[in-house]
Amino acid sequence: MMLKPCSREKEVAELLRRGQWPSACPPELRAHLSACRSCGDIALVTEAFQHARSEAVGTARIATPGMLWWRAQLHRRNAAVERIGKPILGAQIFALAINLFIVVAFLAYQARHGLRWLSWLEQLPQAYSLHLDNLSQSALLNPGWSFMVLIPVTATLALLGGVVVYLASERQ
Amino acid sequence: MKEPLPMHRESILPNVLAGDATRATELPMDSDAFAGFYERSARPLWAYLARVSGDPALADDLMQESFVRFLGASNPGDGEVAGRRYLFRIATNLLRDHWRRPRQSSIEEISEEFFAATANSAPSDLLAPAMALMRPRERQLLWLAHAEGYSHREIAEITGLGSASIRLLLFRARRRIASLLRQQSSTHQRLP
Repeated sequence: MMLKPCSREKEVAELLRRGQWPSACPPELRAHLSACRSCGDIALVTEAFQHARSEAVGTARIATPGMLWWRAQLHRRNAAVERIGKPILGAQIFALAINLFIVVAFLAYQARHGLRWLSWLEQLPQAYSLHLDNLSQSALLNPGWSFMVLIPVTATLALLGGVVVYLASERQ
Repeated sequence: MKEPLPMHRESILPNVLAGDATRATELPMDSDAFAGFYERSARPLWAYLARVSGDPALADDLMQESFVRFLGASNPGDGEVAGRRYLFRIATNLLRDHWRRPRQSSIEEISEEFFAATANSAPSDLLAPAMALMRPRERQLLWLAHAEGYSHREIAEITGLGSASIRLLLFRARRRIASLLRQQSSTHQRLP
């Protein structure tokens, strides 16, 4: 299709835009319209659309601005909370990764040293009764249960517990 | 219309962390200015959405969503004219997203209002059947140009299309809908 703009298109469009069509249309422009398809299309289409617009605007069902204002504020507040929530989530993931690393390192250390504390656990019911003083004594005497192991394990469990509690409270 | 307030991330975070979320929810205009803007822009926007989509219920939803997004925008434009253009741009994008989504598969999902509106518009309005035969993008271009009176440059800004291609696309769409309108007009005249 060839694009053939007519030199009088703007004139026709301007009359239509001002709402002066066809009352203020000079006779020679009317005569031009009957001969020029491009200008005729503009007049026909613009009239149809302007009529449709005025009808649709009259039947529009619009909500109250207050309700939309409230929705927009809620939307913006949620977006702000989400924005500040991102670094917190990053910190949680970092803490979890550190804890997992400690657990894995501990397990690797124990595996390398033959899980001596497991054999100690098997011997426990036979050798000792389950009194706290006996337990602490045995832990200090047994080389597999040194403070070097107990402290990181306790710290890891405490940290993991804290993370779990925090995540649970966040969800609620 | 009031000047939009600047919103920076640095200014939001301390207030929200301190428990004062009021600054974080500040909108680009105050409620009175918005009410005035809404009063002048809502009906033309609804008309655009309803006639281009052919679905008044959808127009209701998209119009509300457009205004909410407009208020959430950090820089919706200076002045009412630019603001309204920005609003039409949001609505155009929402319509495009709607058309990209999978179509409704069940007739129960379509509201009764849709059928009522289609039935009412058919006998009295020559434009509705012609619009239904046009492609969605053509309907948008035609409405923006001939109902809203936007220039090619403004339509390019609203639709995201190239300014040069608007001229050709609009010319083709206008020629096609003009033919359809003439056909319908002659058919109506022939009917008793």
